[in-house]
Amino acid sequence: MSITRRIALGTTVGLAAPAVLAQAPTRLRVSVIPVLDVAPLHAAIREGYFTAENIEIDTSTTAGGATGLPGLVAGQFRVVFSNCVSIMLGIREGLDFRFISGAAGSGPQPPDSMAVLARKGSGITSGRDLEGKRMASNTRNNIVWLRGMAWVDKTGGDWRRVTTVEVPFPQMADALAGGQIDAAVFSEPFVAAALQTHGDRLERIAWPINETAPGSTIAQYVAMADDLARNPEVFDRFARALHRGADWANARRGDNALLELVAGFSRVPIERLRLAAFTTYPKGVSVGELTEVIATMTRFGLGGRYPAPATLIHRTAAV
Amino acid sequence: MIGQLRNASGIGLVLGLLLLWEASARLGWVASPNWPPVSAVLAALLRDVMTGEIPTLVGGTLWRMAAGLFAGGLAGVVVGLGFALLPFVARLFAPVVELLRPIPVPAVIPPLVLFLGLDNTMKVTVVALTVFFPVLTNTVQGVRAVEADALAMGRTFGIGALRRVVFIVLPASLPYILAGFRVALALALVVTVVAEMIAGEQGVGHYLVMMQFAGRAEEIYATVLLLGVLGYALNRAFLLVERRMIHWWFALGRQSAA
Repeated sequence: MSITRRIALGTTVGLAAPAVLAQAPTRLRVSVIPVLDVAPLHAAIREGYFTAENIEIDTSTTAGGATGLPGLVAGQFRVVFSNCVSIMLGIREGLDFRFISGAAGSGPQPPDSMAVLARKGSGITSGRDLEGKRMASNTRNNIVWLRGMAWVDKTGGDWRRVTTVEVPFPQMADALAGGQIDAAVFSEPFVAAALQTHGDRLERIAWPINETAPGSTIAQYVAMADDLARNPEVFDRFARALHRGADWANARRGDNALLELVAGFSRVPIERLRLAAFTTYPKGVSVGELTEVIATMTRFGLGGRYPAPATLIHRTAAV
Repeated sequence: MIGQLRNASGIGLVLGLLLLWEASARLGWVASPNWPPVSAVLAALLRDVMTGEIPTLVGGTLWRMAAGLFAGGLAGVVVGLGFALLPFVARLFAPVVELLRPIPVPAVIPPLVLFLGLDNTMKVTVVALTVFFPVLTNTVQGVRAVEADALAMGRTFGIGALRRVVFIVLPASLPYILAGFRVALALALVVTVVAEMIAGEQGVGHYLVMMQFAGRAEEIYATVLLLGVLGYALNRAFLLVERRMIHWWFALGRQSAA
């Protein structure tokens, strides 16, 4: 009890008077998902970058991110990691999210962290083959779904004629192998897991991001606009530490040190991580990539009135 | 003697099912990495128990469950007594209770997160809400079943209304109240784990989801087995307590031995 009170007091003092920061760490609650994309945050925690900025990070892991963005609005979190499409949909509905940092992106060419898998011998190789069939993504109307639909369109299919079903990543391989679905958009490390365990029955038929929008953005960190306006220096410190974590992770791509870090926080066996393709870890968010996402969303039924992307990028993400 | 034999046959069935599980995984009847043999599951369970991770998680989950059980149970008994003894309370609140009772508690977790956050406050509240209704209903039933003779005797001896409630009505309705608690206990464990699965990094529920996302089938089934054993143990322990608290009820032979 007294510890909690001390932290609460510390937070207030830290926010009100930067001069006395030395004694009082700022406690920030961050909503994350247990995926590879949040490696920089965990790196920054473990390497002491947040401590160096006098910030104490309290992560709250939510599978699928269902409580992430609503929790940000409700004040449960100060920072939320989420995919670009979910964030933009919130902004479209008038929620004052601002991008404070990039988190994960796709590389310019394969291998990439998202893949479309189908059953071997099913003859399905394109979006056209999937018309009238069932394709899974972990959630509707998120980045996984959007890139999956863009790939269907690009490969000659009518995305409206493909039935999309929601299947959580951990259950996708079984559902696909068992014939309940005909294709699925997987994200790592579930691609590696599916090919490792169901490799005799499943195969990769596409890299949906590389084939439709190479080098595009996947996920970001966001905060509320009014919080940013009130406590700009807290988020400056947060972003500095997080970006040092991104440097740490980017410098160790394919390295054992990075794999061990991810295995530690996600509990995914390290042998499986060795087979997984990692996302890039960008520090910034650009007008160009947000414009692309909004344009793609509009093409696939998620259009509407979006603010100018430049107004959504906080200074910490303008790198 | 016959009872013992019957128990043994029940345990035999459990062992048989576990054996079937082992065989189905080992012999490839169910060929999926998400269906590991039970021996591998038990090994994973033992490993995480030895590291101290599982005991800590179970402790946290049981603590939240117990807190919710206590708060919701106490409220259920008090409100139940009010319902049964004060007609105007029943008339005023019965519609609200009847409307709220059928709502599945997991459905109200997201809005509760908005008001109560992601930590113990929310989880204990959710459990308390779950426990409240069965205890309330059984308390009302119990009070209605108190024998009129007992109450009349109390009145004859000039015992005041409040003392009659505490010393006659409450003990006499205890068998019903405890039956309500027994139902609530099973629900409380389920709901605690569900709440932990939805949000926050606490307890057995969060461990279960994390292992799902890590694709570690052994740990997932280890958790499921653990929850089964935990639920069974809680029920047995509760039966023991119940027998001690209302031995007179069993002595009357109104209820067959469970």
